[in-house]
Amino acid sequence: MAQPARSSRIGEPVRRKEDLRLITGAGCFSDDVSLPGQAYAVMVRSPHAHARLRSIDAGKALTVPGVIAVLTGHDLLADGLKPIPHRPFSPHPADIPLANTDGTPMFTAPHHALVIDKVRHVGEALAMVIAETIAAAKDGAEAVEVDYELLPAVANTAAAARPDAPRLFENARSNVCLDAEAGDGKATAAAFACAAHVVRFETWIPRVTGVPMEPRAAVGAYDASIGHYTLHAGTSGAWRTKMDLAIMLGVAEDAVRVVTRDVGGHFGTRGMLYAEFALVVWAARRAGRPVKWTCERHEAFATDYQGRDLVVEAELALDKDGRFLAMRGSNISNAGGHTTNFSPLRKGVEIMSTIYRVPAAHFRARGIVSNTAPTRPYRSSGRPEVIYVMERLIDLAARQCGFDRVELRRRNLVTAAEMPYTNPFGMIYDSGDYPGVMEKALTLGDWAGFPARRAEARARGKCRGIGVANYVDTASGVPRERAEMTVHPDGTVDVIIGTVSTGQGHETSFAQLVTEWLGVPFDKVRILTGDTEFVRFGGGTHSGRGMRLASIVIWGASRKIIEKGKRIAALLLECEPGTVEFRDGLFARPGAGRTVSLFDVARGARDLLDLSQDLRGPLAAIADETVSVAQFPYGCQVAEVEIDPELGTLEIVRYTAVDDVGRAVNPAIIHGQVHGGIAQGVGQALLEQCYYDPDTGQLLSGSFMDYAMPRADNFPFFNTEYVEIPSPTHPLGMRPAGEGGTAPALGVMINAIADALSEFGVRHVEMPATPERIWRAIREARGSAGERRR
Amino acid sequence: MTRVSLTVNGQRVSAEVEGRTLLVQLLREHLRLTGTHVGCDTSQCGCCTVHLNGKGVKSCTVLAASCEGATVTTIEGLAPEGKLHPMQEAFREHHALQCGFCTPGMIMSAVDMVRRKGNELDEHTVREQLEGNICRCTGYHNIVKAIQAGAVAMKRT
Amino acid sequence: MYDFSYHKPASLDEAASLISGRDDVKLLAGGMSLIPALKLRLATYSDLVDLGAIDALKGIRREGNTLVIGAMTPHAEVVASAEVERAIPALAELAGGIGDPLVRNRGTMGGSIANADPAADYPASVLGLAATVVTNRREIAADQFFLGLFETALKPGEIITAVRFPIPEAAAYCKFPQPASRFALAGVFVAKTAGGVRVAVTGAGPSVFRFKEAEAALAKKFDPAALDGIEVRPDGLNSDIHASAEYRASCVVVLARRAVMKAREAGAR
Repeated sequence: MAQPARSSRIGEPVRRKEDLRLITGAGCFSDDVSLPGQAYAVMVRSPHAHARLRSIDAGKALTVPGVIAVLTGHDLLADGLKPIPHRPFSPHPADIPLANTDGTPMFTAPHHALVIDKVRHVGEALAMVIAETIAAAKDGAEAVEVDYELLPAVANTAAAARPDAPRLFENARSNVCLDAEAGDGKATAAAFACAAHVVRFETWIPRVTGVPMEPRAAVGAYDASIGHYTLHAGTSGAWRTKMDLAIMLGVAEDAVRVVTRDVGGHFGTRGMLYAEFALVVWAARRAGRPVKWTCERHEAFATDYQGRDLVVEAELALDKDGRFLAMRGSNISNAGGHTTNFSPLRKGVEIMSTIYRVPAAHFRARGIVSNTAPTRPYRSSGRPEVIYVMERLIDLAARQCGFDRVELRRRNLVTAAEMPYTNPFGMIYDSGDYPGVMEKALTLGDWAGFPARRAEARARGKCRGIGVANYVDTASGVPRERAEMTVHPDGTVDVIIGTVSTGQGHETSFAQLVTEWLGVPFDKVRILTGDTEFVRFGGGTHSGRGMRLASIVIWGASRKIIEKGKRIAALLLECEPGTVEFRDGLFARPGAGRTVSLFDVARGARDLLDLSQDLRGPLAAIADETVSVAQFPYGCQVAEVEIDPELGTLEIVRYTAVDDVGRAVNPAIIHGQVHGGIAQGVGQALLEQCYYDPDTGQLLSGSFMDYAMPRADNFPFFNTEYVEIPSPTHPLGMRPAGEGGTAPALGVMINAIADALSEFGVRHVEMPATPERIWRAIREARGSAGERRR
Repeated sequence: MTRVSLTVNGQRVSAEVEGRTLLVQLLREHLRLTGTHVGCDTSQCGCCTVHLNGKGVKSCTVLAASCEGATVTTIEGLAPEGKLHPMQEAFREHHALQCGFCTPGMIMSAVDMVRRKGNELDEHTVREQLEGNICRCTGYHNIVKAIQAGAVAMKRT
Repeated sequence: MYDFSYHKPASLDEAASLISGRDDVKLLAGGMSLIPALKLRLATYSDLVDLGAIDALKGIRREGNTLVIGAMTPHAEVVASAEVERAIPALAELAGGIGDPLVRNRGTMGGSIANADPAADYPASVLGLAATVVTNRREIAADQFFLGLFETALKPGEIITAVRFPIPEAAAYCKFPQPASRFALAGVFVAKTAGGVRVAVTGAGPSVFRFKEAEAALAKKFDPAALDGIEVRPDGLNSDIHASAEYRASCVVVLARRAVMKAREAGAR
């Protein structure tokens, strides 16, 4: 790093604690766990996207040497396993509610861990083969005979929403599970009626997938003597997984333990329990021995929870000076083969107007199912999609109506004076200097110097374009978090917390908080997570809630410890508790020059015999808080691309990002989050797509041979900076930094591409903006220009 | 089953393997060297990179049986016990890892890159030569910086 | 992966006898395509015969006006070879773009051309340079070697031992990598030799093929401008989720022009 840390306190780029094990190969990821006597599971997966399951014949499979058992959906029902307890919306009060306009309840259907009657996407598991080795289990899986009745499939989002589309659930009226409205239809219509300009944009933000580098793996164990299940698996929060497992197994919460150690990436994909997690613990009970399952990458492409997939039609109304008057349109979100989650639909539509002053808005919001893998929130859930739509609308408006695109943004950005600002869907943005951050990004990205760079590029035969995009991100998610902090007399501090680091470096940044607030050595702070044996509650890691909520509960627990510590210190220092001061890990009696350390006090709490009941015992505190306000991180990105017009290939030549993080705990980690977020957003804009054949639902991008992952040579170095304008709705002023890299990246990339191609008259390029799409856009624009000339 | 004998991280080892056993399976399952990871099934991601007779290879695409008499170095054996290799040190200093799953492969690949391309690596070279390793967390920014710094540090040691 | 018996013969004769008369035995070279296919259970063999211990199949040497590369020479050695750099720098550059550095440490020339993946790079150089494929039984001219999708003229029991590349006056390879696999979405190898100009195209069709119209035009004048107005018909070219036939056809012409330019620049140096 450029600047070494000067201390281990808040604001310093402290080297990560977790790195020592990870760089030496001593980490413990899910597949690194093996239990004595374990058997291996392999899933029998459907090659069809939509089919009725007539029968499964395991006879031949059971004769394969090494095969122990073949379990099907009927075995699962017979054992009373419940469906996966999906929650279509996360329960945060700051998000707007979405409900069917006609008053009927939203359609949901049970999602069993193994198919019972009907396959709804390619790769769905029908049966599980348990064997002595993985190879034997695979042989067994191949020998399972399945009789399917093939049904017409629908994979495409817009097609699946039509009333005559093949229907996934017979008991539903259509594939549309939720048909809601957001905003004010009347006010919006009135505003459109007096608009000087109306700009229209229709687009599809395609399906992508999170692709954590660690494929899922799970080891299940069952202790028959006490009826207790243990799952070892990578999750985004062990506690929630445990609760969901208990529901599925139909057992008491204390009959289940979930252990999560190192997790090789998450990005939303691990936000909900997976079928296989329940299957391995159930199989362990059936087999009388531990059962391990390791996902292969091709299975991950077919069965990891995927993301995005939103069809949008949007219109923006402007007055003659370019002031935004209103916006309206429709969003259709594709949940895939089960009614897993409609949170991205809500997370998007509620900030459709993003960071701009839009007095009126109205959107129809539909959630549908289709014959594709289920989806869930994926990095910055729902926001990158709508930010892309808004940022494209602005650039299209500028082009169509003759405004400067930066000036148009300046004119319409919500200002600090308008805060807190209620957007037209009812979301209350807490604070921020939106215009200031955009100006900072434009300066860092040298917007002013762009014409010269474009001219220089043109001399080399390249079309250079620049784009800008602002974002706002609603950080909500599970609102409750809990920290349990103990100061030990041996000079260590333990913090038990319910979030799990999936790469964010919690062991480091949370320890920095403790070092800051308790004044104890950074190396002596242990952050303990991921094992429900000691984690009593935890909301998990998502929605920018790791540091945001951890800081609140660690702060709360720290204060309690200091308060309690002062009372004990008063006894040791022989003074009134009210006079004791605490600083840098020491309790002091003012004026007397006498101090005792936090650890002395911890020893006192253990050893002193004359302590009152409430002070006796370990020096520990619990903070358990529910935070019902959301934070609103925001920022701006500026990107520059060069396009080779003959081939349509593209190079990103400059990339600038500025984020308001409120208060930075570890700058190195924050920049890292932004870098990675940018790469994920750019990946979607340029490269990635879960490509389903629209008619058959076959997944044609089922491996790294066909799913284009961003690699090192797709990027330049990024120029990232942050500002720290404290959030008034967070007690410590923090704003999450994990999603900001991704949120504006789709929009900024497509804006830059459209700008590069503007000389040909190209209006827009859909995502992923592949070389062929760019090449076609140029060709078609040239063709139509030729038409016009004739 | 065939018996294969080789040197792994300086230790002579031998194991009974099937014809189809992969080097990565030998390392992870037989020898419990779980620092070498499997991230894909098409030889793309590079998480399983080790050094085979001094050269970087994807151990998921090498048959264990073909390693008879070979010398293998994994992430666990890159530096002597209790010490860090300059490339490991550079990854830590530059925050070149987040989840850490691709990291062992990245580091092994980076050391191989230095063997092939030398200690003075420009940005373009590093990015191009990192084609066989995929990271999802870092956007590669800090990985590229770490490799450049690690390469220079390797010259000093 | 299905299990198989593994053999590692020390000589070519021993390898030949292991595979003789058996169609369920497969030769293993670098394994960079075969092992992934086996892992995904796309193929099954009773025996694998690893050619890795046969020293006679390795090495790079110059024989007069020909560069001879042993079938088991890894790509990385071709990339780093001073001999190749002197004789056919375009070949070294091509090899430097195959797979990734780790793949190049293992993958071999013989394995690549025997596999005849329609998007592999080496076939373009073999065909473009009018190389000769040498086997344990005969010599096969490049024009007779690649027969179609994953199909070559190799007979059962035949083992590639080396490839003989005539040294051209100028040559270059331009590749457009498929964004996910990094195989050639389209790749064009152009060579100017005493016998004329050859243009070989990989990635775009079901098998590597010669772009004869371009060859004829470049024979008149070895200049990018000679290709003006020349088009590749998309009929029969590959179409997939990464690129349509029409786009590939367009790329082939652009890449051919750029390869000519690159070959001329290299020649001028």
